[in-house]
Amino acid sequence: MRSLLRLAGTEMKLFLREPMVLTFVFAFPVLTVLILGGVFDEDDPAFEGALPSDYYVAAYIGVVIAAIGLVMLPVHLASYRERGVIRRFDVSHFPRWALPAAWIGVAMVITVVAVAVLLVTGYLVYGLPEPHNLAGVVAGTLLGAFAFISLGIALGMALPSARSAQGLGILLFFPFFLLGGAGPPPEAMGEPMSTISELVPLTHAVRSVQEPWLDLGSPTVHMAVLAAIAVLATAGWVKLSRAAT
Amino acid sequence: MTTVIEADGLTKRYGEHVAVDDIGFTVTEGEIFGILGTNGAGKTTTVECLQGLRRPDSGHMRVLGLDPRTAGSRLRALVGSQLQASALPDRLRVDEAVRLFGDGDRRSADRLLDTWDLSALRRSSFASLSGGQRQRLFIALALLNEPLVVFFDELTQGLDPLARSDVWGAISDVRDRGTTVVLVTHFMDEAEALCDRVAVMRSGRIVETGTPAELIARHARSTTVTFTPPVSFDPAALAALPGVDGVSRHRDRITVVGDNRLIAPVCAAVLGDDDLGPPDLRVHHPDLEDALIALISDTRADRPSLVDGVQGSTPEGVS
Repeated sequence: MRSLLRLAGTEMKLFLREPMVLTFVFAFPVLTVLILGGVFDEDDPAFEGALPSDYYVAAYIGVVIAAIGLVMLPVHLASYRERGVIRRFDVSHFPRWALPAAWIGVAMVITVVAVAVLLVTGYLVYGLPEPHNLAGVVAGTLLGAFAFISLGIALGMALPSARSAQGLGILLFFPFFLLGGAGPPPEAMGEPMSTISELVPLTHAVRSVQEPWLDLGSPTVHMAVLAAIAVLATAGWVKLSRAAT
Repeated sequence: MTTVIEADGLTKRYGEHVAVDDIGFTVTEGEIFGILGTNGAGKTTTVECLQGLRRPDSGHMRVLGLDPRTAGSRLRALVGSQLQASALPDRLRVDEAVRLFGDGDRRSADRLLDTWDLSALRRSSFASLSGGQRQRLFIALALLNEPLVVFFDELTQGLDPLARSDVWGAISDVRDRGTTVVLVTHFMDEAEALCDRVAVMRSGRIVETGTPAELIARHARSTTVTFTPPVSFDPAALAALPGVDGVSRHRDRITVVGDNRLIAPVCAAVLGDDDLGPPDLRVHHPDLEDALIALISDTRADRPSLVDGVQGSTPEGVS
């Protein structure tokens, strides 16, 4: 147990020493908060009656979740595989599941910290709305984070190199970011874009947080999609890690 | 002697290519066992099967009585490994690596860093280390947690000559403390200096097993003495000396071939009137490299009949 905590602690340090992680997981979402919170008219009807800065609270959380799942984890893992770091772990005293378990734990902690940084920034600059259903908000955040972390591990196991992971990760990150809730609200989009945004996994993570927070409706469908992503991605990376030998 | 590693009928294919072809050998407790051969002979694949990194397609194998296919996690705590191709995270520091892979005891980590001359580098990141420093770190990591068996795959790659002889001394010490060592190498001087027994692989098969001295005796070219004779010298007289198999002349130089016993009489015969021999006199003793070259360039070694013969002649090595 102590050696597992040591592994998690070491992985945490290594993530935080990575400039890419600091940029995408901490700096970029804070910038998003500051820009999106102030860019729209307060009585814009596209926000279903909410203040624009309130409406985007869930999107900030979505940006963190997407940055961790689509950029941070795939690049880190693909680089480990490409360079033979995973082989080194495979002959150490750590069990095979220790490294993925450490990634999940560490990524969850980084999610919580980055979300806290964001919410404090949002609160200080624009103020935050009272969550309608706090337990629902926490559940939506954790489930969304877990689904995207699983997806990130699967991508990291599947992609051949750190460079390809970085390319694909950023290629996925921006459309997810723009269509998944951090861009214009669906009511402001044209019909085709609005439909596409329904297909973006991040939409469901953002909706799972937004609906309980602002009391916009039931998040059950969105949470079911997230759970399905988590199950499929987990099955995928478990299979990929076994196929390696 | 207790058997620590046994393999029998081990086979591993990559698609059509048979990397390891029905091999068997045993390693006993406290010996340094070398696996030798050319590039692509299947040495690394063999060791990776024993380490549990690869699943062989068929065959029997045991390490410390456990099957690496099913008891991988129990074995990993008892076995140390230095891999031919592996790395650590670029931003991981040397002392963090030793503490991460060790049992967390700071004092034993410090001792190991001292032994492997890494103390001054403890705050350096893996990315900033030279090839030789990385290699010393990987050897140190393989020896963490007092393993009962250690696998080294290309132990001294990237090391300068001085560092190589230091590493050889340290590996001998490890064996002297009772640890069993499996050494994959293509450096014959390394195998001759360290190994108690070796197996020679060629095209996925083991073609010979034995002590380095046995392999040299069976397969190495004879002892040769070469020199430029004094003007008045008659080389014909050398052919009658004991142990001499042949005398040949190439330009000014004479080469005498035979067994070890020829050295003293040949040297005595070429002494000049001033009691000094030819200044360019060279004696070459047969070594493991000669034996290996003879073995792997011998096309008959591909025939199973010869492999069977070899197995019969070394019952302790090949089962």
